[in-house]
Amino acid sequence: MKNLYTVFLCLFTVFVINAQERYLTKSGQITFFSESPLENIEAKNNQVLSIVDASKKQMAISILMKSFMFEKALMQEHFNENYVESDKYPKATFRGKILNFETISNTESKVQVKGKITIHGVTKELTVETLAKKKDDAIYMKGSFFITLSDFGVEIPSVVEKNIAKQIKISFNFNHQPFKK
Amino acid sequence: MKLKKIIISALILAFLGAFIGYKIYNKPHVNVATEKADVVLSADQILADFTTDEAVANAKYLEKIIQVKGIVSETKIENNTGIIILQTNDDFATILCHLTPQETKNISKIKKGRQITLKGICTGFLMDVVLVKCVITN
Repeated sequence: MKNLYTVFLCLFTVFVINAQERYLTKSGQITFFSESPLENIEAKNNQVLSIVDASKKQMAISILMKSFMFEKALMQEHFNENYVESDKYPKATFRGKILNFETISNTESKVQVKGKITIHGVTKELTVETLAKKKDDAIYMKGSFFITLSDFGVEIPSVVEKNIAKQIKISFNFNHQPFKK
Repeated sequence: MKLKKIIISALILAFLGAFIGYKIYNKPHVNVATEKADVVLSADQILADFTTDEAVANAKYLEKIIQVKGIVSETKIENNTGIIILQTNDDFATILCHLTPQETKNISKIKKGRQITLKGICTGFLMDVVLVKCVITN
């Protein structure tokens, strides 16, 4: 009986440790896409840091603005220098709560992530519908949403107004692995 | 006769303008492999600079071609991009070097624990110092 009790205690301890686990990726992907009558602009960032705290059901994301890679060097230059002013605001961040975290299973399902996003020094509340899945001890999250440039104080000069969409589609794909060390 | 000359020179000017505009629009990305490095230093040094004062380090290193020397702690391929991780004297922070598509083909030759020199563009500091478009120089 005492042995059984020990086994239960051990199991319980393991469960508690697991519940505090953190998951992270340092190579998350974020793509933004601007569709306009004159040209489509796409930029990819493969160095996004995303952390999921399973015990607190929280999520934190950090993005380096200079890590967005464009097809054309000139677009990348304009993006950094004129639009997001990445010297002044080198990072974009998101911090939020995964609302229905307990529903994440080994098949893909929708969860809501609610939190605050900061781009270009401007912070906005946001709820994003995300496809999430937990498999082989990794947490996968992906989805997309739109942001309005003017909400974040990003000004587009009238000369190139027709080249850049007012609403930019942001897609993300994170493959969080358990954090060891 | 005079009018004809004016029209011809205007046409030449317009053509030149369009050509230059097109060239600027299609300006190529920096080729890390052929460019000389702006800064040469060790993995420990660049990390120390970012942990001491991130803003100062940002001004010093961002968008520059950095040549960094360190010990390989891990290599992996994610989303078709090879990543070489350099260890530092900090247990948690590393130098994350994302390779170019061409250099990714050579990643299987890189063994853990060896000393390596890489050249890449610094995009900033999250938990680690991030370098992109890296090529192996030694």
